[in-house]
Amino acid sequence: MAAKAILFDLDKCIGCRACQVACKAWNQLPGEETRFFAAAGGYQNPPSLSPKTYTLVKFYETTVGDKFRWMFRKHQCMQCVDPACVKACPVEPVKAMTHDKKLGVVYVNKELCIGCGACYEYCPFGIPRIDDKTEKATKCTFCYDRVSNGMEPACVKACPTDCLVYGDRDMILEMAHKAQKRLKAKGRNPQIYGERELGTGCSKIYVLPEPLGYFPDLPKKPKVSEDLGLFHEFLKPLGSLSISAAVIGLVIARVKEARQTEEVTEKVEA
Amino acid sequence: MTNHWIDIKNADCIMIIGSNAAENHPVSFRWVTKAMEKGAKLINVDPRFTRTSSKADIYAPLRSGADIAFINGVMNYIIENNLYDKDYLVDNTNASFLVNEKFSFKNGLYVGYNKKKKKYDKKYWRYQLDENGIPKVDRTLQNPRCVFQLLRKHLSRYNLDEVSAITGTPKHLLLEVAKIYGATGAKGKSGTIMYAMGTTQHTVGTQNVRSYAMLQLLLGNVGIAGGGINALRGESNVQGSTDMALLFHILPGYLKTPRVEDQSLKQYLEHWTPKSADPKSANWWQHTPKYMVSLLKAFWGEHATKGNQFAYSYMPKVSENYSHITMFEAMYDGKIKGLICMGQNPAVGGPNVRKEKKALEKLDWLVAVDLWETETASFWATPEVDPKKIKTEVFMLPAAASMEKEGSITNSGRWMQWRYQAVHPPGDAKSDLWILDKLAKQLKKLYKKDGGAFAEPIVHLNWNYGPKEEPNVHLVAKEINGYDLVTGKLVPSFGKLKDDGTTSSGNWLYCASYTEKGNMAARRDPRDATNKIGLYPNWSWCWPVNRRIIYNRASCDLKGNPHAPHKYVVKWLADEKKWVGDVPDGGWPPGTRHSFIMKPEGHARLFGFGLADGPFPEHYEPLESPVKNRMSKTQINPVTKVWRGAMNEIGNKKKYPIIATTYRVTEHWQAGQMTRNNAWLVELMPDMFVEMSKSLAKSKRIKHGDRVKIKTARGEITAYAVVTERFQAFKLNGRLYEQVGLPWHFGYKGLAQGFSANILTPHVGDANTMIPEYKAFLCNVEKEV
Repeated sequence: MAAKAILFDLDKCIGCRACQVACKAWNQLPGEETRFFAAAGGYQNPPSLSPKTYTLVKFYETTVGDKFRWMFRKHQCMQCVDPACVKACPVEPVKAMTHDKKLGVVYVNKELCIGCGACYEYCPFGIPRIDDKTEKATKCTFCYDRVSNGMEPACVKACPTDCLVYGDRDMILEMAHKAQKRLKAKGRNPQIYGERELGTGCSKIYVLPEPLGYFPDLPKKPKVSEDLGLFHEFLKPLGSLSISAAVIGLVIARVKEARQTEEVTEKVEA
Repeated sequence: MTNHWIDIKNADCIMIIGSNAAENHPVSFRWVTKAMEKGAKLINVDPRFTRTSSKADIYAPLRSGADIAFINGVMNYIIENNLYDKDYLVDNTNASFLVNEKFSFKNGLYVGYNKKKKKYDKKYWRYQLDENGIPKVDRTLQNPRCVFQLLRKHLSRYNLDEVSAITGTPKHLLLEVAKIYGATGAKGKSGTIMYAMGTTQHTVGTQNVRSYAMLQLLLGNVGIAGGGINALRGESNVQGSTDMALLFHILPGYLKTPRVEDQSLKQYLEHWTPKSADPKSANWWQHTPKYMVSLLKAFWGEHATKGNQFAYSYMPKVSENYSHITMFEAMYDGKIKGLICMGQNPAVGGPNVRKEKKALEKLDWLVAVDLWETETASFWATPEVDPKKIKTEVFMLPAAASMEKEGSITNSGRWMQWRYQAVHPPGDAKSDLWILDKLAKQLKKLYKKDGGAFAEPIVHLNWNYGPKEEPNVHLVAKEINGYDLVTGKLVPSFGKLKDDGTTSSGNWLYCASYTEKGNMAARRDPRDATNKIGLYPNWSWCWPVNRRIIYNRASCDLKGNPHAPHKYVVKWLADEKKWVGDVPDGGWPPGTRHSFIMKPEGHARLFGFGLADGPFPEHYEPLESPVKNRMSKTQINPVTKVWRGAMNEIGNKKKYPIIATTYRVTEHWQAGQMTRNNAWLVELMPDMFVEMSKSLAKSKRIKHGDRVKIKTARGEITAYAVVTERFQAFKLNGRLYEQVGLPWHFGYKGLAQGFSANILTPHVGDANTMIPEYKAFLCNVEKEV
């Protein structure tokens, strides 16, 4: 089976949020208690991803040239081709953050997860959330239970305009470039996001109708933190038996501390 | 819809006006998006920048209540710049018909206005007839008395500067819309208009729709693929409920409700069966007697006989308007004692809800049939009333939701689609059919036993839906289709209905939906027809006779050649002497019948005499407006009924200078019970809000997220402020006028609660339909301290 991907042809997004609700319905996630609107620029709610919310639609009110624009973007795990969260996951010998390389799917194996938060710490997009109650990491599963059974993800299924399309990553990329051409012909300034980010790209491919700068919450140049190497170095002497969320928390703190010291030393030396 | 949902994909240009399709009909955008992928242009005309506007090539802001000025301006441009389709006008519309010499228009009034009665005498709104009684025509369209020239004169007052001063739409955008939409007048091109309640919920709502229909006729856009005049109905089965006549002025299949003067069946049929002297006019309503008698046979079966005029005397005869507002006014006046409210929540959805709730207090009893305990069912528990003082006895019947019962829904595109029961209803909840069946049977029993005033219509009612506890919904569907009462077989189509009592049909338009071949609405064949324009003729069934695009003869020239061969709807194969493609509007060879078969003159009406308020659309201001009518001294629609007296206060612009409008959002549904009880949707939109411009917020010292009071002459509510660029003030004649917008979904029951916007709206309606003017009224706002 070829690696899969989802296209977000955002010019076709009408901000209806059927994807957001379908995600909750399929994953049996409860509604969050919210108040008013969480952000300016439209109707976004809840304010951010959470253990109860794997995906949400963000609204952007902006002016491009002399034209007022209202744009929408579905926000969730990017499903990196070379996922840092999997590398960060300290659970051994089988990682809790699971990577199905054939399908290009990254999901949390909740039976193995210890809720240490390393996946969140080293995610270049800041996506995973730790559920304090269950002490497990949570994030978009790419509907692994659906796609591994030949079905499309719930969000794609619900999308009325085919803004979301699911398929082989090669085909999705081809569609993305076609969409880019279509938008260019209409005088827009589209940008593909997710094809080459982090070098190897992601399985979630955005066609942004306007340049990246109009979507300030998307990292301009996402990168995997160099701390990840240090994290593993610190982890090595501990051995797999003593690994717990508390220990990993300490290690992450140590890594940060070491990095700071290093920075200070660098500054002094300079 | 003259066309249907999928057909939107065939359009070259789409105008969405009076509709927020992306938010309220999201699935329609599947087809809008497909059209746009092929290069179609999307125009959105709306008072506010919505999720629909966000997808548009051209967004033209329009002050709420100014649609007619806008469309008249566009039509004027199209005529003066020769963008109209002249052949289409001559062949298919009454543009060439000569109008009575005494017809005139002055000071915003058409000839025949009676100021006292606020009514028109329409005797001069007529064609000139020749010696055979056929309308006189001038196919050159030059005669000053022809419809085209009268229309041209009427529209000439709507130049773009004038229109801009009324609508607040910048002139360059008016021009752009007129040019781009006007381009669909070219042969082979099509433009579609999608509209909804933003169009209809005005005192000029019906004329708003008419103006769109006329624009479509001028451009030759009716009867073609990617064209038409397309009402996006507000609920999944509201088309079905209209077809089945859940309205006071019509019977199933749009037969007229008998009036008091129609005392006998003969009088009724003479009154309502149109005649035409033109042999080329199909004049389809000439079949009224067959449809009416078959309906009476469906209602009263063996008790409807030739000897008793098929039980016509059982029919209620109406003398006045019985629409929503009138009914609640009568209730308020103590004239109505009981109310059965099925799937309706007027305590949130009705206009001027404070008054409507007061009216409910005057009832002896109220039966509320719904999925939840609605605000209507619990009107007596509103925070501002004392339940001890309310005597109304309330009965609550829990109802099954659509997925919990079997039956059909008819969508906006007239497609009747059969649905199966997915799950059983919870607890004691029952299908509407079960509830009505029990009610009818019990009433029949009681009337039979105890008698009562005029018991026969109920005792004799033909009511037989099977022996089981749950009535057989297939028997209902079959009754709607109708039977040949001689053979006992289902009627294959309305062509077989008779006026002698040998056939029955609960709705002639649905004849052919359930035949001896089976339940047509349940068909699920995904193959398209030969013309490949998305008709899918064997997927479900649509009225009439499975014709997916109506008036489709107008898509061809008089020889049956389609104007758009690449997306033809029908075409005539001369060798084989038959039509192919969609089901044609009658099988007659081309040129032998006029295309608009439902009109006695066989032509679509640019000049119409059916409406109460004029043959052409004319701009009048909403009941509450911050400006004087620039077009004439007639400020509001002269035939609109305005209620005065208790709880019907009208606001003025001094006290209430801000324009207000109400609307729905994607996340909530109607009066909110189905969505405000769903935690996933409540998460998305938890609170009542009011949207306003940055300039208004600044002048009132309101910040995004503040609590704000909104006041009108009817009441006051509180909501969170959404301060946004999507709202802009309108520049009318050089002065700026602010507007605010309010979703109307909220109430005080359910998971998400908030003030109802309809506390603010007035009890006034359209002159023809009495649909309330929810879309334009005056208010003031201030920050809550």
